[in-house]
Amino acid sequence: MKRFALAGNPNCGKTTLFNCLTGSTAHVGNWPGVTVDKREGTYKKCAEPISIIDLPGIYSLSPYTPEEVISRNYILDEKPDCVINIVDATNLERNLYLTTQIMEMDVPMVIALNMMDMVEKQGDKIDEKELERRLGIPVVKISALKGTGLTELMEKAFETSSKERKGKTVLEGCEIYHLISDVRIALDGQNVANPLFHAIKLVENDEIEVQMHSTTIKMVDEFKQSFNNELFGTDFEALVADARYKYISKNYSPLMTKKEKGVKLSKSDKADKVLTNKWAGIPIFIVILFAIFHLTFSEDLFYLGSIFSLPTLEDLGVAENFGTALLACFYDGAIFSPGVILFNLMDLITSTVFGWITAGLESLGAAEWALSLIGDGILGGLGGVLSFVPQIIVLLLFLSILEDTGYMARVAFILDRIFRRFGVSGRAFIPMIMGFGCSIPAMVNTRTLADERERTLTLRTIPFFSCGAKLPILTAVAGAVAHILGAGDGSIISFLMYVVGMAVAIVSIILMRSTTQRGEVSPFIMELPAYHAPSFKGLMIHLWDKTKHYVKKVFTIILASTILVWFLSNFNWSWAMTGDINDSILASLGQFVQPLFTPLGFGSQLNAQGWVFVVAAVTGLIAKEEVIATFGTLAAIFATAAPEIAVEGATDVMTMVLGTGITWPALIAFIIFNMTTIPCFAAVAAAKGETPKGKFKWTLLFWVATSYIVSAISYTAITMFASWSLWSILATLGIIIVSVVAVLLIRNYNKKHPVKGVK
Amino acid sequence: MQLIDIIIAVACSLIVLSVVVIAIINKMKGKTSCGCDCANCSGCKSCKNKTSKQNTANK
Repeated sequence: MKRFALAGNPNCGKTTLFNCLTGSTAHVGNWPGVTVDKREGTYKKCAEPISIIDLPGIYSLSPYTPEEVISRNYILDEKPDCVINIVDATNLERNLYLTTQIMEMDVPMVIALNMMDMVEKQGDKIDEKELERRLGIPVVKISALKGTGLTELMEKAFETSSKERKGKTVLEGCEIYHLISDVRIALDGQNVANPLFHAIKLVENDEIEVQMHSTTIKMVDEFKQSFNNELFGTDFEALVADARYKYISKNYSPLMTKKEKGVKLSKSDKADKVLTNKWAGIPIFIVILFAIFHLTFSEDLFYLGSIFSLPTLEDLGVAENFGTALLACFYDGAIFSPGVILFNLMDLITSTVFGWITAGLESLGAAEWALSLIGDGILGGLGGVLSFVPQIIVLLLFLSILEDTGYMARVAFILDRIFRRFGVSGRAFIPMIMGFGCSIPAMVNTRTLADERERTLTLRTIPFFSCGAKLPILTAVAGAVAHILGAGDGSIISFLMYVVGMAVAIVSIILMRSTTQRGEVSPFIMELPAYHAPSFKGLMIHLWDKTKHYVKKVFTIILASTILVWFLSNFNWSWAMTGDINDSILASLGQFVQPLFTPLGFGSQLNAQGWVFVVAAVTGLIAKEEVIATFGTLAAIFATAAPEIAVEGATDVMTMVLGTGITWPALIAFIIFNMTTIPCFAAVAAAKGETPKGKFKWTLLFWVATSYIVSAISYTAITMFASWSLWSILATLGIIIVSVVAVLLIRNYNKKHPVKGVK
Repeated sequence: MQLIDIIIAVACSLIVLSVVVIAIINKMKGKTSCGCDCANCSGCKSCKNKTSKQNTANK
């Protein structure tokens, strides 16, 4: 099967084209760096099936980051039958810079002038026939988004792939061309493939090439000693880049005729004047983030219920029936947010269906243990997790909209000023905010960061940005905190917990940058994509993928785990069923580990059933949804065993939680522990894959230590402040003094032992 | 023990066993460790087996 590689600048539409050609649903985003690894699909509309390889975006073939190396190596080593170079026609000059480098390889290639719909919309024109003649490479106008010109592109690529092509360069008129020519002849003599490309890269002093051709580099170095350019000195990389751009602007750029626009700003520019404003940018971002969380979690939409003191359904004297239960999904003393409405509807559906299942089993004469296994164990556990699916979808929908409109790239830009002070560039923000969806792709995305230390510390802090799977923990436990405090709505507590997660990430970055990951912050250069309305189809595909993944996990790993949890909480060490859950295997294991969590508030200070927190936290290491699934199963067992302890207006989970005698500061500590501790198994595997060999153990230790210390401090501090006393003032002063001394000592050490450059 | 009890016991045991066995088989085959669909994942190669990782590194 023939193989065609899609290569081009970041955010030029490679993955959109890949999806169009192969019918895939690969994730597309309106910011540079979405694709960090190559992926394959098949195009079936040519004379024979063709394998299409989507490569990460690159600005040049001199790579700086791991994902750029992947693209370069693929074109060089895997020798595709044709390279389809996707050029963003709205940025012709910059995109052709990469084209001039791919041209230097002995590989058949076709240029796809993408985003032609945008060019035409702006009233601009490109003479593609003349461009094709001057480049000596077939050029096809396309729009990957609209799906136009794709058949012609593939036909042209198929035709080109059967013809041999020798590399050619635009540097022929350059003052160092004779050196390039000499090196090319030398490499030709050594039977090196793509000699022209390697010769130019050697002259540029490309790190990878220097290592590969240690003998030829001596010849280059000898020449360089006698050479000194007026403008660039002996910086050959800059000299070559300048020569390329000069050639492009002289020969190719005039082929684009721009419509006279005067000084009129585009819509994107106008929006950027406000959204990326030095003073307004960050407050606007905070407001947008708060609005997203409010629309996802709030039980009082726009606080209308509190402002106008709206009556509850009970106040209105509405009769209790299914219609009222349905109405209560939308309103009860306040209008609920879309996230809460969908949560309530899902909860109503699952509880109704599960009720039918249990009733059906009873009518079939199932034994008590079987009813407990299905009703308390499986349905209790799954119900708890499934109810949160719509709420997770709502959160992901808002985050996807931010991503697709192009706002995410702007946020990275505006946060760069702040992040830089803490020791990372704004680019690190993108994987971090991706962590709100799922830690795994976020961790893989860290490979777009050029500096290894920056990569490490970003990867370590990603789990602190609570992923969708942690949302049920936040919402359920925050609800219990609000219940204890009599605060009513737990949405503010949920939002604050997200903020705490981000604060822990920032403090961790500062600490790591001052100690184990010292170094300068790498420069941040990012192309800001034009704003555009998100594609409905794209959003739906993205949400469908996430939902499918989540539901699949619920009905596999979580289903199996709930059965195991039920078994371990109903059997004792004699392998006999126990009537008292506190005598079960699970309880004894939980009670054994429980004292370790005493400084965190959910250890030995709790009553006999306090072990449930430890068990939930440990099962959360498999998947974070497990925490609530375990709570659901255990709460159902407790509720069945002792229905008389039910707290009025509280769910089974809340009744169980409150029944342990836990305090609200300890519940906060429990949330923080789960948010900051080791993420799920899959995320651990992804982190291991992205960490340099032998260093992953430190990352694991970092997560364990951070979660334990931060939770213990939170519990102690909140408990002390809740009961303000002389002791709490002294303790606070003590902590401040110790922190200041530690900071001064670290600063002093860093001044005496400065680090040398960026790795 | 009723027939329904036996069905429930067998079904639950099979669920647990199949989830564990499939996870082990997937791991041995070097398939995804996160449960996502590799075809749509931009980072799928990072989860693949060691051989493909080494190949990438060597290039």
